[in-house]
Amino acid sequence: MKNKIKIFRAMHNLTQEHLAQTIGVNRQTILAIEKEKYIPSLDLAFKISRYFGVNIEEVFIFDEKTPSVLDK
Amino acid sequence: MKKNTFYLIFGCIALALLIVFWYSVELHNSLLIEIAFVIGIALVYLAKRNVTDVINDERNIKITEQATARTMQVFWVVFCTFSIGAVMEILRVPTFPRPAFGARPADILPPRMMGYIQLGLLCLMIFLYVGFRIYYAKKYGDFETDEE
Repeated sequence: MKNKIKIFRAMHNLTQEHLAQTIGVNRQTILAIEKEKYIPSLDLAFKISRYFGVNIEEVFIFDEKTPSVLDK
Repeated sequence: MKKNTFYLIFGCIALALLIVFWYSVELHNSLLIEIAFVIGIALVYLAKRNVTDVINDERNIKITEQATARTMQVFWVVFCTFSIGAVMEILRVPTFPRPAFGARPADILPPRMMGYIQLGLLCLMIFLYVGFRIYYAKKYGDFETDEE
């Protein structure tokens, strides 16, 4: 699962810490999602995309070719 | 409650348990330390619930879940192995060839050793959990660094 959180953060001039605090998670979780080490739950994915005011598909891109973290 | 306050309380409880343990050994009364241990752990859980500056998010919960599941997967096999040995000792399963009349088969697990074995198993469980926790924390990006 690819994502554009880093791009959206840059567009909104946000730090990982600020985004994490607003969403209610640890900074390390935002970093792990950005680095594609962790796939967020639907709930968290919606929270992130809603925060940026966009649809979930604009932030998270489902890629069938990329193996999921769960498959590794 | 701050995280550091929790650690301070945790240290105090551990110290109190150590004193109760020593006192319990002096009195030859194991019930005392057993009750104290349960109360101590209950107090730790109660204190942990009131920590406010630690966010336990879904990734942390997932790491804990995975580490616990893997620990149990390995631990139950080891535990079962020792338990089978202990049950054999209790049941005195006949050995082949049969020992001479009146002779007792050698103790597989002497009853005195059971306490040490249980302690060893507990330590193994803790080491397994810590190991798996580090593994899953690494897998889910806990040790990732960023330019920020």
